[in-house]
Amino acid sequence: MRVYLIYFLISIVLQLAFAELLTVNGFQPNIILLFIILSSISMDNASRSTMAGFFVGLFSDLVLFNGFYLGLSSLVFSVCGYLSSQVSFNFAHRNFDLYWLILVFVGSGLYSLFRYDFFFFNDMIFFLKNWFSVSIYTSFVGFLITRAFRVKQLVLEDA
Amino acid sequence: MTKTELILKKKLDIYILFVCVFFSFILIFNNNNQKIQKFRSSALDTFSFVYQPFNWLDNQIFLIKKLEVLSYENLKLNLENQILSSNKVENERLRDLLKFKKRNELNLIGADILSKGVNANMSSVLVDRGLVDGIERNNAVLSSRGVVGKIVFVSNNHSGVQLVSDVDFRVSVKIMPSEAEGIMRWIKNDICEIAEVQSTSDIEIGDIVLTSNLSIHFPESLPVGEVVSIHKKSNSSNKVVRMKLFSDLATLNQLFIVRKGE
Repeated sequence: MRVYLIYFLISIVLQLAFAELLTVNGFQPNIILLFIILSSISMDNASRSTMAGFFVGLFSDLVLFNGFYLGLSSLVFSVCGYLSSQVSFNFAHRNFDLYWLILVFVGSGLYSLFRYDFFFFNDMIFFLKNWFSVSIYTSFVGFLITRAFRVKQLVLEDA
Repeated sequence: MTKTELILKKKLDIYILFVCVFFSFILIFNNNNQKIQKFRSSALDTFSFVYQPFNWLDNQIFLIKKLEVLSYENLKLNLENQILSSNKVENERLRDLLKFKKRNELNLIGADILSKGVNANMSSVLVDRGLVDGIERNNAVLSSRGVVGKIVFVSNNHSGVQLVSDVDFRVSVKIMPSEAEGIMRWIKNDICEIAEVQSTSDIEIGDIVLTSNLSIHFPESLPVGEVVSIHKKSNSSNKVVRMKLFSDLATLNQLFIVRKGE
C-alpha cells in the first residue's frame, strides 16, 4: 500500500509537470492512466484494481482539474483497472510491454470516445488524430518510465 | 456457503465494475447538480496549492519569451490605440448627434492561469479568480487579443474556463462589415467555423468577426477573429465561413474576465 501511494504521488507530480511544461501541440500524456494500468497489471484482485481505478479517477477529476466532466476519469480508469487486472491471470514476461501498450490505447480510446463524441460522429480523422496523439505520447513516456523505474521487474516480482 | 453466496463471490469483480461504471455515469449526468458543483469547488479550493510550484516554474522558464511577446503586443496595441483614439472622438460625436444609447464600458478583471488542466487536449483552464472577486458562471473570458472562452464553474477563489477550443463551445458571432450572423465552433488549432451564415451575405476574406448581440453571455462586439475562407454548402442556403482566432490558445497566461452587473 505504501509503495502504491508513493508511485501515485510520483504520477501526480509527473502529470502536473507534463500538463504545465511539456505539452506537445496541445497534447499531453495521461500519466495517471499509465499508473492505473501498470499498478493493476500485477493485481490478481480485479475488484481492488477496479475500485482503485474509480477512486483515482475521482481524485483526478476533482483535484487535478481534469476538464469539467466529473466522473469521466472514474469511468475510464475503472474499466482500465479491471482490464489490466485480467492480464495478471495470463501474465507473461515477454508480453509485458505489449499488454500495457494495448491498454494505454484502449484507455485513451475510451477517453476520446466520451470527450470527443462529437468528432466521432462528424470528423473521424480528427477523432483518430486526438486518440493516437495522446496514446503515442503516453506510450513514449510510458517506455521511459518503465525503463527508469524498472517497472517490469517490480511487476514480475509482485505477480 | 450458500449457492447465492458462491455466485456472488464468483462474479464479484463484474459486479464491482458495474457499480463503479454506474456511479461514474451518475456523476457525468449530474455535473450541473448544485451539490456536486459545490463539492467540486471546495475540492479545487483546498487542493489548488498543488499547481503553484509548477505554475511558478512555468513562469520562470518562459519568462523571457513571454516578455518578448508582451513587448511586441504592447507596441502593436499602442500604435492601434493612437488611431482608435482619434476615431473614438469622432464616433462619440456622431453617436451623440444621432442620439444613440450610450454603450456600457466592460467591467474587466485580470486573472492568472493556475493550471491548463490535466487533460489530453487543452480545452479548459483554471484561473485564480472566484466568487470573492465577483465572478459568475458564464462570464465571458478574454485574452489581450480577443475572446477565449467562458466561465463554467466558480469556487470561492478559483474558476474553470471553458476555452473556445472545447468541442462543446459555441458562441453567436457577427462578421463585420456585412453584419452577417452565425454560430461559431472550434475546428482545429486556431481555426473555427461559423455556421448558419446566409449565402446572400457579402463576406470577404479578412473580414473581422465579433460577438453578436444575440449572445446571452457575451457582451456585443468583442473581437473573436478574422475570416480565412468561405465556401457554400451544397443543397443549402447557408455559407460555411472559416475564421482564425485572434488569441493564441497555446500561449495563454493572463486572462480578463468580463463581470456582469456594473
